[in-house]
Amino acid sequence: MAGTVIGEGLTIEGEIVTDDEVVVQGTVRGTLTSGDVVSIAAGGVVEADVQAASLSVGGQVTGNVTASDRIDIQAGGRLIGDVKAARLTIADGASFKGNVDMDV
Amino acid sequence: MSDGSIIGRTTTIRGHVTGTGAIRVEGRVEGDVVTDGNVEVAPEAQIQGAVRGATLRVAGAVAGDLSGTDAVLLESGARVVGDLSAPRIGIAEGALVRGKIETARGAAAAPAPRAAVAVRREPEAPRAASARAAAVPVPAAAGPAPAQSGRRAPPPPPPRAEAARDASPAPSGGRPGPAGAAHRGPPAAPRPRPGAEAGRTGRAAPPPPVVPSLAKGARLKKKKAGQR
Repeated sequence: MAGTVIGEGLTIEGEIVTDDEVVVQGTVRGTLTSGDVVSIAAGGVVEADVQAASLSVGGQVTGNVTASDRIDIQAGGRLIGDVKAARLTIADGASFKGNVDMDV
Repeated sequence: MSDGSIIGRTTTIRGHVTGTGAIRVEGRVEGDVVTDGNVEVAPEAQIQGAVRGATLRVAGAVAGDLSGTDAVLLESGARVVGDLSAPRIGIAEGALVRGKIETARGAAAAPAPRAAVAVRREPEAPRAASARAAAVPVPAAAGPAPAQSGRRAPPPPPPRAEAARDASPAPSGGRPGPAGAAHRGPPAAPRPRPGAEAGRTGRAAPPPPVVPSLAKGARLKKKKAGQR
């Protein structure tokens, strides 16, 4: 079970700093920093800069994202912001607008 | 349907947590936790801010008021500095509490109905509350919290906001008004002081015009002068 789950009806406005795995099904505004995997589920809305070990975008993310490992933007996911990661996948059907820096 | 949220053990949130559904806090929250579902505070959790929900089950540390629309239960590892307010309150052996305890009327997790009463009885109180809300950046007053902003009408004049800002820790108007204000207050940073903030929410106090029932007397008097 993921360490931190932000459920569908929940909104967090502020900074989140964690070493846990994070699953976002709700809304996060501010910044999100994790030392582990962050997944944004289909209904999740993140208006924040995200930093994680790895990130999976299934929902909507507006903000710059940095991952030490990989970033996956899934079909149905939407990312507006810059991406900095060593590995990146953008699935068919995903929506992305921003710069990519893979030179990590 | 929200399944419930968990704030993990290594997680620190500096900001507010609001929404619907159950929440289990195992980490640290520097800000309010407001929901319409149950809230569980695990033994290793630390919350600096008010907690509002249906049933609050606290086994950790909370510096802030606890208001439940249903019950507030402190379990054996609980360490609470703040007021408890709910129709049912339980404090287990070994829990540490400092604050007022009130079962008389359940805390207003849904301040709108009680606020309507407040408006009828004391025209001052909502204005005071909205002044306090305006002390907290004005856009917040205008923006979210539909029920409350409808009740509170346009932002009050700046002088009152000044006085209210000074008075803001003192919850003499302490009712759903300030509870609502704290509820939709913006990020932790601009808040005057955390202790006072904790006192502001969840306090279902006697009506302000009569006898302001507060330790922070000086601020109260100032506020009273500004109000009347």
